[in-house]
Amino acid sequence: MGGKQDSTKSESMATTKTAPDLLNSSIFSFKSLKLKTKQQELLIRVSILGLVYVLAFIARLFSVLRYESMIHEFDPYFNYRTTLFLTEKGFYEFWNWFDSESWYPLGRIIGGTLYPGLMVTAALIYWTLRFLRFFVHIREVCVLTAPFFASNTTLVAYFFGKEIWDTGAGLVAAVLIAICPGYISRSVAGSYDNEAVAIFALLLTFYLFVKAVNTGSLAWALGSAFGYFYMVSAWGGYVFIINLVPLYVLVLLITGRYSMRLYIAYNCMYILGMLLAMQIRFVGFQHVQSGEHMGAMGVFLLMQVFYFLDWVKYQLNDIKLFQTFLRITVTSAILVGGVALGVGTASGYISPWTGRFYSLLDPTYAKDHIPIIASVSEHQPTAWSSFMFDYHILLFLFPAGLYFCFKRLTDATIFIVMYGLTSLYFAGVMVRLILVATPAVCLISAIAVSATVKNLTSLLRTKQKVPQSGSTKGAGSSKASSKVTLDQSQPFQKNGAIALLLGVFYLLSRYAIHCTWVTSEAYSSPSIVLAARGAHGNRIIFDDYREAYYWLRQNTPTDAKIMSWWDYGYQITAMGNRTVIVDNNTWNNTHIATVGRAMSSYEDEAYDIMRSLDVNYVLVVFGGVTGYSSDDINKFLWMVRIGGGVFPVIKEPDYLVNGEFRVDKGASPKMLNCLMYKLCYYRFGELTTEYGKPTGYDRARGVEIGNKDIKLEHLEEAYTTSNWIVRIYRVKPPTNRL
Amino acid sequence: MIERKANLSLRIRSEKMAPRSDSQTLATGSAMSDTSGESSIDPIFHILRIIPFSFLRPPRLRLKLPSFTLPSPMTVFALILLTYFLVVSGFVYDVIVEPPGIGSTQDPITGSVRPVVFMSGRVNGQYIIEGLSSGFMFVLGGIGIIMLDLALDKNRAKSVKASYATAGITSIVIAYVMSMLFIRIKIPGYLH
Repeated sequence: MGGKQDSTKSESMATTKTAPDLLNSSIFSFKSLKLKTKQQELLIRVSILGLVYVLAFIARLFSVLRYESMIHEFDPYFNYRTTLFLTEKGFYEFWNWFDSESWYPLGRIIGGTLYPGLMVTAALIYWTLRFLRFFVHIREVCVLTAPFFASNTTLVAYFFGKEIWDTGAGLVAAVLIAICPGYISRSVAGSYDNEAVAIFALLLTFYLFVKAVNTGSLAWALGSAFGYFYMVSAWGGYVFIINLVPLYVLVLLITGRYSMRLYIAYNCMYILGMLLAMQIRFVGFQHVQSGEHMGAMGVFLLMQVFYFLDWVKYQLNDIKLFQTFLRITVTSAILVGGVALGVGTASGYISPWTGRFYSLLDPTYAKDHIPIIASVSEHQPTAWSSFMFDYHILLFLFPAGLYFCFKRLTDATIFIVMYGLTSLYFAGVMVRLILVATPAVCLISAIAVSATVKNLTSLLRTKQKVPQSGSTKGAGSSKASSKVTLDQSQPFQKNGAIALLLGVFYLLSRYAIHCTWVTSEAYSSPSIVLAARGAHGNRIIFDDYREAYYWLRQNTPTDAKIMSWWDYGYQITAMGNRTVIVDNNTWNNTHIATVGRAMSSYEDEAYDIMRSLDVNYVLVVFGGVTGYSSDDINKFLWMVRIGGGVFPVIKEPDYLVNGEFRVDKGASPKMLNCLMYKLCYYRFGELTTEYGKPTGYDRARGVEIGNKDIKLEHLEEAYTTSNWIVRIYRVKPPTNRL
Repeated sequence: MIERKANLSLRIRSEKMAPRSDSQTLATGSAMSDTSGESSIDPIFHILRIIPFSFLRPPRLRLKLPSFTLPSPMTVFALILLTYFLVVSGFVYDVIVEPPGIGSTQDPITGSVRPVVFMSGRVNGQYIIEGLSSGFMFVLGGIGIIMLDLALDKNRAKSVKASYATAGITSIVIAYVMSMLFIRIKIPGYLH
């Protein structure tokens, strides 16, 4: 190298004066830039993680670029309103807030009935930015909280993958989870909901716990307790953690993997996590009172029994004595635990499993008993196409990853297998829970990808090793022939490995294309602003919801009370700033049933109910003009079912004809004269909606309506939006008695 | 075993002649669960020794408590694969919503009833047969990758490795192509 340098120096000196200086400096800088392998590897890893971080953020920005930076859907509007309150009034006012603007006349104790993690997180980010003199509006922070935490989740997924398998699996897991549609669906920019932060907290808690079990360190266990606290503050789905971790500990005990590390990790996490979780008012004392949390307590006591038996075994030298002692202790421990559980449940101190979580274990329960839970579209069981839509090739890689985990069973792989299987089962029961299964599926698929790629690249690399070993081992005739056959198969194997690697690359690129397409088409719609393709392919935006809410805000008295179906409650309070009767919290079934009864009764009976509730305005959503199919007429049967569940005077068969729900001439008379029908189709009979069809043609149902001549006695029309999507009616005061 | 024989001999020596009764099988069951060695730290054993067994003679039975052995990891994995197949085929959806096995439409002109395999119109809806066939494709793809890994295992004959490799690659290709075909039929605007 030195000789070469001298010759180039002399050549360049012969040409120009300044060139050799440049050449020298560049040669030296190139030499000093040549890194060692370890440093190269670190650089590759850090750059991959940096790119993945940015990718996870920008993949979620479709709706911000297409529409504007606004909050999507229904629930996020409540979260936005509470965050606004928190930043304006401070934490103590927020914690003690009683809201009289929703659930009129009952009101709602907001401070005690929400999970504050999301709001506090957004407020902290907002205050930090303001401290750094970036004066952003709180709405921007709320819109971009979810993508920010999705990026953080990819980092946690990398460390988790590293813990379970190796760094390669960690990197693949980070990439897969950055663009997986199952996660994007609930963490897109504008989806300011609890899950945005909760999935980050879930994965963080699991990672810290597995790290604690692997190392036995008290510090990591403490970290996992705080991660659990963050999860409890963020989402009601923390019940999954408090049941999965004890189940995992139980499986480890059964498979004979009890160790001091497990003991330290679980005890620290359970006790500290439980004490921290009791700081959230909404959770309260549920960790000692609710049936859903008893599994964790039972496993905690079992761990103490195991430790005690271990200690006794260490003290005693006699095996037989110990066997006796073992039998007595285990029997009596199980008996005492069973008796305590029985006494607790019978006396009512331990409450049974709530309907929401019980319907996960027995999926048929909600359909028969609790229509409100069954009516939410997110709670329907999952069909294969939803799985395919949200996971694509991860569905192939998941069983392969399980196989690799079973081949190399450690404490960590047992955990990820259990997490994957339980969460996948629950995802099969309820579509919404595909989100919870996504990190596990991505991690296990990453293990499959990493192990397969490692196998294939090791095939590519064996070429160098075999000739050396052949030469050092000396020449026997069999050895020579085997070497010859190996040499003959070498190029074939190498070509095959390269072809398979290209195949893996092709599959992963198809996954990326699929994820981008799904994100762009299916999961980036704000739901409050609708878009459709016009006749010439141009895009038409329907902004009717916000138009109606702002009309309410500006044209009604400030103490007006609005009655609508519970879907729109949060949006009305957040954007319209008016009191509502029922909203999305759905905590009071009877109140919702009262509204449902009012919507499905004749106008006179409905007027009595509305007067008793002090209603001033009624809001309905109607999709007959635009063909919008999620309107109140399509939701009407749920109003009837929920109302009929509490008031038997409302009977579902009254509204059906031969079991079929119709709105045209053949519909039942009760349907043609109920309040919802009248309010939706008032003056609709005069409208021509489609060329070539008669007037009053409902484009969402595809039929001509039955009752075109509607007269309203106790209500009058206040406002109809430009595309007839939202219609607002004023309730007239009672006529003076003569 | 030694303990139990010792107990029985103890009882035979100290017994009084008594007719066998039906409670004896029950007694042997409870005796076996509470037996210990000759060392007597078990209080229940002492009570039982006095109350029924001072005058009852347990028969000599060759019964063994069923021993609980953990199944091998690969057995568990096979069961898990079966469960995965059921879940991913939308089994819970089939049980709750009870869709028909296969849908049908009526040809408007001829009036004949034609079967429809894929429920169109929604992403989250299926008929039973389409769910099961898609689930089978996913499991086939997974098994293909597993077979590829088995093919790269060093301790087998070359021909076995080659056949595993071809079977694995064919499975993956078939599974991927069929899954893409299914999703394209089901969702008409896929990737457009």
